[in-house]
Amino acid sequence: MTGSVHAGKKRLRPGQVLAYLVLTLVCLLMVLPIVLTFLYSFFPMSEMTAYLKTRNNYAQGQWMDILLSPSIVSLRQYYSLLIEKPVYLQLFANSLLYTGAVLLGQALVIPMMAYALSRFRFRGRDALFFVILMMMLLPFQVTMAPSVLTMRALGLMNTPWAVILLLVFSPFYIFLVRQYMVGIPGDLFEAAMMDGAGTWRCFLYMVLPISKPILGAAAALSFADSWNMVEQPLIYLSNQQDRMPLSVMFNQLSTSEPGIAFAGAALYILPALLIYTYFQEDILLGIQLSDMK
Amino acid sequence: MFTRKKSLMLFLLPGLLGLLLFYLVPFLGGIYFSMTDGSIANRFVWFENYQRVWSNPVFLLGLRNSLELSLICAPLIFVFSFVLSVVLRTLKERSLGFRNLLLMPYLVPSSALLIIWLLLFDFGSPINRLMELMGLQRVLWLESEAMRVPVVLLYIWKNVGFSVVIFSAALNAVPDELYEFARLEGAGPIRQATKITLPLIMPTAFLVFVLAWVNAFKIFKEVYFIGGAYPRDSVYTLQHYMNNLFAKLDYQLVTTAAYSFAVIVFVLFGLLYMGKAVRGHDR
Repeated sequence: MTGSVHAGKKRLRPGQVLAYLVLTLVCLLMVLPIVLTFLYSFFPMSEMTAYLKTRNNYAQGQWMDILLSPSIVSLRQYYSLLIEKPVYLQLFANSLLYTGAVLLGQALVIPMMAYALSRFRFRGRDALFFVILMMMLLPFQVTMAPSVLTMRALGLMNTPWAVILLLVFSPFYIFLVRQYMVGIPGDLFEAAMMDGAGTWRCFLYMVLPISKPILGAAAALSFADSWNMVEQPLIYLSNQQDRMPLSVMFNQLSTSEPGIAFAGAALYILPALLIYTYFQEDILLGIQLSDMK
Repeated sequence: MFTRKKSLMLFLLPGLLGLLLFYLVPFLGGIYFSMTDGSIANRFVWFENYQRVWSNPVFLLGLRNSLELSLICAPLIFVFSFVLSVVLRTLKERSLGFRNLLLMPYLVPSSALLIIWLLLFDFGSPINRLMELMGLQRVLWLESEAMRVPVVLLYIWKNVGFSVVIFSAALNAVPDELYEFARLEGAGPIRQATKITLPLIMPTAFLVFVLAWVNAFKIFKEVYFIGGAYPRDSVYTLQHYMNNLFAKLDYQLVTTAAYSFAVIVFVLFGLLYMGKAVRGHDR
């Protein structure tokens, strides 16, 4: 990745060459943990177990090897994970369930709420928006603790609903989608109303299709949140290990099943990478929008 | 702008109910709740719970750590993302690939990277080899007070890309001519960054800092991954304290701790915004 590759383009200035070097180095460091996880997931189980056993050796002069190529490329970890160890799949399914339910709930609630906040005039709208902003800026600990009161009153403590419902109504995503919908030109609505479209038709056939990028961004960011959640299950599910999402359990898996830990991690990263690749442009837009205050 | 009441209600109601039920009502009701004693009679005890929490050394430890960790992470993220964005800008449209790579960890679950992190920071790990190569002592990253380092690095690794994206957008809005002119006048890259870039993107910079800071308050996951529910004193966060109260079903104290924290956060933000307003006045 040096200047000479871009023969047709403008020559690179020395500063730009330096920039290339710095960025290449930083990006390599950023992807290194992910690459290593995938690499180690193709090592034989016995080799990985043995390797992880060399950890926590405090003798001077004792080092862990730096493993870069397996003795034999093996899919054994994946086989064991998917076929022989139902525990892992069970936890993975929990993660899927929580994330899926949160996204579904958000799809039902958030675009409509954002539409109401951005396209309707009613008393108390600005106050409501202000409250949403405040709730969004409060640290997680502050909103989480009192919400337990509601969960208890509704009898939802220690059920998956407590985890799901709180995330469905996340103020941040209402804010994000609303910011985008405010920017839709008013002329479009006037034209649609001239053609006899009501609030519903406007919403379904105009606002939703126009808002596709921000909905994609919200979905991807929300996925990342739910897929990596730790605090909520720890609090709302007490210690029911069979109901935890996988994100909470990696700490235990890595000690109890060292042989398949890397395949487990790689499989968990994979959906996130796919979603990132697919929604990349939308996510960028979404993050830039969250900046407008 | 629509004004029809009926259809408004249809759109607004589901979200509004949820917000009220799970966020607003508990938040307001919790204030009363934090001033009762939790017995069956549920006496109103004013600030007794607050006194109990504030005289609890474990709460104070968690509070101090949460504030300290956020004050380590936020400036680091701020500086890194600013420098990276400035470097990205010099490459114009060729920088997009790099920027996208920097954002990738934001979507990747850090929980899955825990294992690699444990390897990288083991006592016999490559990182310690590097330390010794540079003539330094090996460090017990995971077993001593130095655990803050892997925790902070995991946090930065995941979150720096978010700030880079916001910074980059602001930087790209600065017209090229300004830099051309500065270069003609003989200003080096560092002078350009401090005299042109920084003043022009000040509002964004402020926002990036505030967002990074708000987010860093809740730092807990990273500690939980590496250190579990009862980690070393140097990384025992407020969330740990609250989780352990939850386990004891002491809801009064949990809400009390939460509001104590909220007050501190609001005061800090107030100071930050006042400082910004004063500085804005000077100019």
